[in-house]
Amino acid sequence: MPDHSGVSGGGPRATDGHVVRAILAGDTERYAELVTRYRDRYARYAARMLGSADAAEDAVQDAFVRAYDQLAQCRDPDNFVGWFFLILRNRCFAERRRSKDTAPLEAAGAVAAAERAEVPVEMAERRRALQHALLELTPEQREVFVLKHVEGLSYGEIAERLNTSVPSLKMRMHRAYDRLREQLRDRA
Amino acid sequence: MTDFHPQVKQLLDGEVTLADLPPELRAEGEEALRLLAAVDREPVTFPALDTRVIEELRRRRSKAPSLWRRLVAPREVRLRVRPWTLVPALAMAAALVVLLSRPESTPAAATVTVRFVLFAPEAQEVALAGTFNQWDQAATPLVRTGAPGVWSATLTLPVGQHQYAFVVDGARWVADPGAPAVDDGFGRRNSVLSL
Repeated sequence: MPDHSGVSGGGPRATDGHVVRAILAGDTERYAELVTRYRDRYARYAARMLGSADAAEDAVQDAFVRAYDQLAQCRDPDNFVGWFFLILRNRCFAERRRSKDTAPLEAAGAVAAAERAEVPVEMAERRRALQHALLELTPEQREVFVLKHVEGLSYGEIAERLNTSVPSLKMRMHRAYDRLREQLRDRA
Repeated sequence: MTDFHPQVKQLLDGEVTLADLPPELRAEGEEALRLLAAVDREPVTFPALDTRVIEELRRRRSKAPSLWRRLVAPREVRLRVRPWTLVPALAMAAALVVLLSRPESTPAAATVTVRFVLFAPEAQEVALAGTFNQWDQAATPLVRTGAPGVWSATLTLPVGQHQYAFVVDGARWVADPGAPAVDDGFGRRNSVLSL
């Protein structure tokens, strides 16, 4: 899950920095290039953070709109996607806190997965239970679990992305493991 | 006591293997690995997101300053599909139509952007046929959305009344259960959309 755009298999393409500068210079239609480039990169992250593909799609859309509004504040246009990730992250955290105050989100991703014919029933049930348990974690705990075990990032990569230290991430993760175990035992 | 042993946490972190654990921690280690095996790493995609974002930005750019323009300005109505709440015995389908925007302000040229959504988890392909595409099954395929089993298509249609149905796997015609329907005169029901 690299953070920087480069050259795709279809031939050279403009860098993120080039596109961002063009948009800021008035060629606003080029924002579509960035949306197309990154619309799916954090889709799974958002879906697992929010427990719902619908909520995730809304969050990613809102993050893109917010990023467009604040594009002039993107200090490193060549790392647009890293900056965009932080906007999406804030959006996901806010959404979880908001929904926690109202009604709990359904663990839709897991529920939907459970309905997929190719997923064995037992595995679907375990996925569902884990997704529900993940939603009981704090957003910070859930995030480090999702980035490591869903997105496959190392502690070092996560620390770099979140601008934090590996020991603090490990502490957060280890608490998450204990809480997940507790949740899953309660549900068993 | 529900905390994992520190060595089991190392196993979860990928720093040691199950074989590295002492025998008394093997069962706990296996429990931990079962937890990780349940992680859902299925990819999630949002194929319609480009359109949604660009339409939203255009809508915001075209916002009019006057009260009258504000009153008649396009508004987005977003309905959330929660297909898993539907009765599976229905087998197929919950569809809905989402009014996305009304970009034209001249009545004679008025059009409305509409998103059609169908829950069809078993389908291999889904299309939309209606009066707006001369009932051509090949004209308007739906695409899979980020939510499994959910298909969608976005069309810009003229204001007025339209009839339509979904065509699943090229053979099965499905009316929209969330919309009024009329008899098509051939034993099937067509959904009706009034814009």
